[in-house]
Amino acid sequence: MDYYTDAIFRALQLIISLDSEVIQVVTTSLKISISSTFIASIISMPLAVLIARNKFKTKKFINIILNTMLSLPTVVVGIFVYSIISRRGVLGELDLLFTPIGIIIGQVILIIPLITALIRNVIFSLDEKLYKTATSMGASRRQKFKLLISEARYGIIGAVIAGFGRVLGEIGVSMMLGGNIKGVTRTITTAMSLETNKGRFAFALALGIILLSLSFLINFVTYFLQEGKNYERR
Amino acid sequence: MKEDKIIEVKNIKKVCGDKTILDIERFEVLKNKFNFIIGGNGSGKTSLLNILSLVDQDYRGELYYKGQKLNKESQNLNLRRKFAVIWQDPYLYRGSVFYNIALPLKLRDISSSQIKIKVKEMAARLEIDELLEQSAHTLSGGEKQKISIARALITDPEILFVDEATTNLDEESIHFFNSHFADLVTDEMTVVMVSHDRRQIKELAEKITLLKGGEVEITKNINNFNFELFGAGIEAPIAELV
Repeated sequence: MDYYTDAIFRALQLIISLDSEVIQVVTTSLKISISSTFIASIISMPLAVLIARNKFKTKKFINIILNTMLSLPTVVVGIFVYSIISRRGVLGELDLLFTPIGIIIGQVILIIPLITALIRNVIFSLDEKLYKTATSMGASRRQKFKLLISEARYGIIGAVIAGFGRVLGEIGVSMMLGGNIKGVTRTITTAMSLETNKGRFAFALALGIILLSLSFLINFVTYFLQEGKNYERR
Repeated sequence: MKEDKIIEVKNIKKVCGDKTILDIERFEVLKNKFNFIIGGNGSGKTSLLNILSLVDQDYRGELYYKGQKLNKESQNLNLRRKFAVIWQDPYLYRGSVFYNIALPLKLRDISSSQIKIKVKEMAARLEIDELLEQSAHTLSGGEKQKISIARALITDPEILFVDEATTNLDEESIHFFNSHFADLVTDEMTVVMVSHDRRQIKELAEKITLLKGGEVEITKNINNFNFELFGAGIEAPIAELV
């Protein structure tokens, strides 16, 4: 028991003293996660609007695929992207395997379905009068899109945060495509796995505490935003 | 004297699933007049208004603006920006009352100093000056409708479409609307109004069209509304409706 108490104590020490190795892992993780969330959001937003607002023959099929992809296992994405960017893959010449870009590609693919589906639901739930009113006010197609995004902003931010939470805590993609290279592709989750195996439990625990705190912060922000929306409606 | 037509529709048909919502051979909107469309529930009044105001383009048939036939591509932004609609149940966007009234001007890239002047002017006319900084979602039904009237009129539209604007309002708001509406509309404005309000029809109507089952039952240009002038054919349905 003393071992674990001691580990917790040392983990907190590592956090409080801003241990350079801990900081490096957290910074790498945040950089990669923020990049992939940003790229995925840019792609997901118009995609969600397209699916939610347009009538087309394959819409039902696309929605089923999208819903199925919500529970996409990270290792499946990892192996799929691996087959593309590894030396024998289509994009093998670009040397993307075991680089931060490799992880970002995998994470983008992982969370596009999640963010798209969540934003699609938000847009579905918006009042149809929003569009009619925008048209009657003389909004162009682009202005209507902007108004739509503005009206759905709280839901969209919630979707983006959910996507960020998913990539920050995933390990499959980061491990398979990043290779856990120190200072380059070592993220919080891959470092935790490695350091635990190496017996550096306190170090892994410190990262675990940080990951948990970040998750708490993400949920807190999401909750706060939802509350903000509700207050405005009251 | 031949009346000026600003909008004309020919053989308009709107179908939803198996149901024909609208099937109109001919309908005209007279320039600078109050054009009333009346009819019972499901008679196609709002569907017709949506097509005339270019909000709905999912229909078959011909639509003319000042004698020029419009195809769906030519129902462009510039033309839509000459129109404005006051809806029965107005949608106000997230933000302040000022933001909502200013929105059509913002969409037209009007400078913020101009917007400020125009919004204040319009707010004063509709007696909503004190509401400008309030969140639009905190307003009562009557206040929301005033905001939507201000938002529609602020661009000084060539044609103003009004879709049963007083149906969901309380007595006080209806009174305000009826006593102020005619003054808010300029002489150059054409108004297309869907209404059930007996007083509005009596005081404002210059052309009246009765729809029934998606078709034009009776249409008549009038000077002073008088039920007797319409004869038995129209008197009964109008009396029943209003």
